[in-house]
Amino acid sequence: MTWEPQIFKTLHQIPREEHVFPGTPLCAGCGGLESLRLAAKVLGSRVVYVDAAGCMTNLAAFPFTPLDASWLYTTMGSAPAGAQGVRDALDVLIAKGRVPKEEDVQVVVLGGDGSTYDMALSSTSGAITRQLDFYYFCYDNEAYGNTGVQLSPATPYGARTTTSPCAVQHPAGTTQEKKDIFEIWRAHRPPYMATVSPRFPLDLEEKFARAAAYKGPKLFLAFAACPTGWLFDPAQTPDVARLAVECGLWPLKEAVNGVVVHTYWPKLTPVEEYLKLQGRFRHLFEPVVQTEAIAHIQERVHGYWARVKREEGNS
Amino acid sequence: MLSIRFHGRGGQGAKTASRIVGTAAFLEGYHAQDSPVYGAERRGAPVAAFTRIDHSPIHERGVIARPDLVVIADASLIRDPAARVADGVDERTVVFVNSSLSPDQVSVQAALPGRLTALDLTGIALREFGKRGAISALLGAVAGRLSGLHRDSIRDAVARELADLGLSSAVIERNQAVALDCFDQVPVVSVEPGGPRPAPPVQLHRPTYDAPTKGTASITVGPNSGLRSMSGWRTFRPVLRPDLCNGCWLCFANCPEGAITIKPDGKPAVYYPHCKGCLDCVEVCPTDAMTVEREPQGVQP
Amino acid sequence: MTAEMMTGNLAAAWGARLADVDYVPAFPITPQTEIVETLAKWCGSGSLNARFVTLDSEHSMMTAAGAAAATGARVFTATSSQGLLHAFEVLYTVAGWRVPLVLVNVSRALASPITLEPDHNDVLAARDCGFLQLHAETCQEVVDSILLAYRIAEDARVCLPVMVNLDGFVLSFTREPVTLPDPEVVKQFLPPFRPAHLGFTASAPRSLGTAVFGGATYSYFRHQLHLASLNGLRVYEEAAADFERLFGRRYDPVEQYRMDDAEDVLVMTNAFASKGKAAVDAARAQGRRVGLLRLRMIRPWPAETIQHALQGRRAVAVVDQNLSPGQGGILFQEIAACLYHEALRPRALCSFIGGLGGKNLSEGEFQAIFEQTADAGVRGTGIGPVLLFTESEHREVEQLQFLAHELKTGR
Repeated sequence: MTWEPQIFKTLHQIPREEHVFPGTPLCAGCGGLESLRLAAKVLGSRVVYVDAAGCMTNLAAFPFTPLDASWLYTTMGSAPAGAQGVRDALDVLIAKGRVPKEEDVQVVVLGGDGSTYDMALSSTSGAITRQLDFYYFCYDNEAYGNTGVQLSPATPYGARTTTSPCAVQHPAGTTQEKKDIFEIWRAHRPPYMATVSPRFPLDLEEKFARAAAYKGPKLFLAFAACPTGWLFDPAQTPDVARLAVECGLWPLKEAVNGVVVHTYWPKLTPVEEYLKLQGRFRHLFEPVVQTEAIAHIQERVHGYWARVKREEGNS
Repeated sequence: MLSIRFHGRGGQGAKTASRIVGTAAFLEGYHAQDSPVYGAERRGAPVAAFTRIDHSPIHERGVIARPDLVVIADASLIRDPAARVADGVDERTVVFVNSSLSPDQVSVQAALPGRLTALDLTGIALREFGKRGAISALLGAVAGRLSGLHRDSIRDAVARELADLGLSSAVIERNQAVALDCFDQVPVVSVEPGGPRPAPPVQLHRPTYDAPTKGTASITVGPNSGLRSMSGWRTFRPVLRPDLCNGCWLCFANCPEGAITIKPDGKPAVYYPHCKGCLDCVEVCPTDAMTVEREPQGVQP
Repeated sequence: MTAEMMTGNLAAAWGARLADVDYVPAFPITPQTEIVETLAKWCGSGSLNARFVTLDSEHSMMTAAGAAAATGARVFTATSSQGLLHAFEVLYTVAGWRVPLVLVNVSRALASPITLEPDHNDVLAARDCGFLQLHAETCQEVVDSILLAYRIAEDARVCLPVMVNLDGFVLSFTREPVTLPDPEVVKQFLPPFRPAHLGFTASAPRSLGTAVFGGATYSYFRHQLHLASLNGLRVYEEAAADFERLFGRRYDPVEQYRMDDAEDVLVMTNAFASKGKAAVDAARAQGRRVGLLRLRMIRPWPAETIQHALQGRRAVAVVDQNLSPGQGGILFQEIAACLYHEALRPRALCSFIGGLGGKNLSEGEFQAIFEQTADAGVRGTGIGPVLLFTESEHREVEQLQFLAHELKTGR
């Protein structure tokens, strides 16, 4: 079975209208901002973003905001609970006639991987369990980026961060495996989940358009290539994002009511191509090539896709 | 006391430069202090760092309001009001600008009251290292020379500070060599440490109660971030060659900033005040229609 | 209206019901749980037209509460002790949003060691977050304070959340007669909640809680919280006057009990103030000229009223049901600070620490307080902090220590 886009088939269908405007203080070449901008083109302006502490907190920095939507900064650990409060209040106020139905807005949580994978997990699990009607947009740059790139549970095997340096004891950098937040979410059986990459803009737009049909929790895990934290030139953000997908490290997929479908079959380019682009993996190649560590990353990719092939069939 | 204020853009190395000077002074037996300013701004945004050097213990902290030496890592900062490079600069302040222009040309352009000197550190870095990136060692060397520090202590300080960043010894040695070239090349203007000056008087203000919309950190007129110009973030700019453009919209789709718009004819256009110069559009362009040009020095588009 | 027997917790639930709240985010914790159980029942039956949601923690609960208030709903929630501390960062966050909501805290001593009975280290830990604080002595006062709290919180001159405190067990689970205000009259007292500065709607996007950079901007907004809180003093006086006119009960920011000719004064808060009043009566019967000052409003701090009430007294004894380790009683510090500039300040200020973890304050202990305070007043030098802890209590603890460490069971 091949997944086909039904709405967004050509780049010219991407709405020209912007909802995340320029002038943000985020880093040049921010892959997270790239995804958010594309997402907002489908989400529109009738939105309240409930933000968790992270890089995106800098979007609304007094007195400027790039959004034509509303914004509420909460805490690092409880943005989904903030979404709960906003959604519930809107429902109640609309039911009581104090807010007209046409003034209703959608609630979108904005969280980095630090918040999403760790600190806000209780709050997120609660919101999904309560079947809160909201979007969760996670910009995953695989580290605590806003504090200067420390190890997060989203940091992949072999990456160097400021708190997982490559050391005598751990020459490969971190030896943890990236937490599978997608499966943690899926265990809650939300109606819609997807991973996206801004280098695959039609896939991204299509998924946001499809998600709109589902009431309840909707997860978007957005690949957020981070020049500042991953140590590559900002111009390479698109290359890094493309290779993450083509090497099979960032599978593009969706899950409707828990049923997973991969939306793009990567070429499975050797992972070195991806790793070599980034300073955070430089220690795997110099002064000596850490063959075992690289092979380990490659094996996990192959293992993942072999399983996908079994479960979904190749097409 | 000698007070040095560094202005740069995030990622250029202003903070490390301030540390190189602080360490060099420390190695020479001075009392030294260095510190950066942290803000919301990211790579490319204006940042500042401070170094103080004295013969006796330093009873001062935080920002330097009246510097003896100002080091400007990027000429475009001079016209960026957010950078505030002119704060506290008077006719006795020495101002170094990283610019390909001569000190006299910079002086005319910058319209700063201080005594100007300049050297094209970006040009040297591009020539010697072959890519854009941090110029901390170069800035530190220039600042050290202007402050009267010794060549040897600058060399040692560069090694210590770059090692602290985790750079390889080969990279450090290369930086040392280029930094010392800059040390030797920078036109010297003597910096005179300022003596104690009377504090300018201030009038204390007593705020009154605002209605809560104004009285809390809220914004009701968004989107308004477009009021900020991002031009100064760029060292390079993307330039579209319309004849090569196939109108695919990949650059429009992949611009993180939304600085590329689609004209009525379906072709993209870069809106430079909003472009941070990440060059992602250049990278994704399938027909090489997006090209790269170095930003003109000290001149805003 | 006739009175009914009810617990402090039920009175708190009635406060929310009479305020006709829209939204109740909840999380259980002893000894507060009965409040949210009651509200869950009422929301389910429709006798309260509000949405009730159980969150995953107090941290989430306070976030949902603040976010709903920021959206324009009238919000009630309740917690206690560890729950209040778990929500701590959110208290500051929502106060900064300037959202009026009411949070009931049922005081309970803090771990560790973990325990269930009351003292005030929980609520006083939250004194600097920007919430206003009203502390109740009786079940009647609980329901009335909640109505007063909404009235002050929602006033455009304040727009801050308010915490209403009642003691766990000695009030939360204690029944006494409460006269419920007439819902129709409550409508006159508490106008509908229609905030101009809040709401997230399609036609009026708003960014709230944005980041600020630079100390000047932060200083300005933080100081606005201070001014808003101080406005609460006047707004409270107006609300209390209206409340008395409509319901016949008067609540001052501080209550003065037998203070007219008192030379020595006890300062207390919350439910144990009832015991303090009994002790004052007993001491008066023995010829001591003593009185009691009960602090009802802790934030904003009613400094002038306190100064006025305490000036010219011989000695003042502050009984703190809390302990700041390494310092002493928290309220003692605040009382001392606000009396410093009084020309007629008391000759002696005495600090007593009592009732920690719900420990009883016996008549004998009050007698000791009066004696030591009188002596201090005669000498003109203050004392303390003195722990209210008796010889027999010490023997009990020693026995437990013996069981814990010395008695071998032979297993």
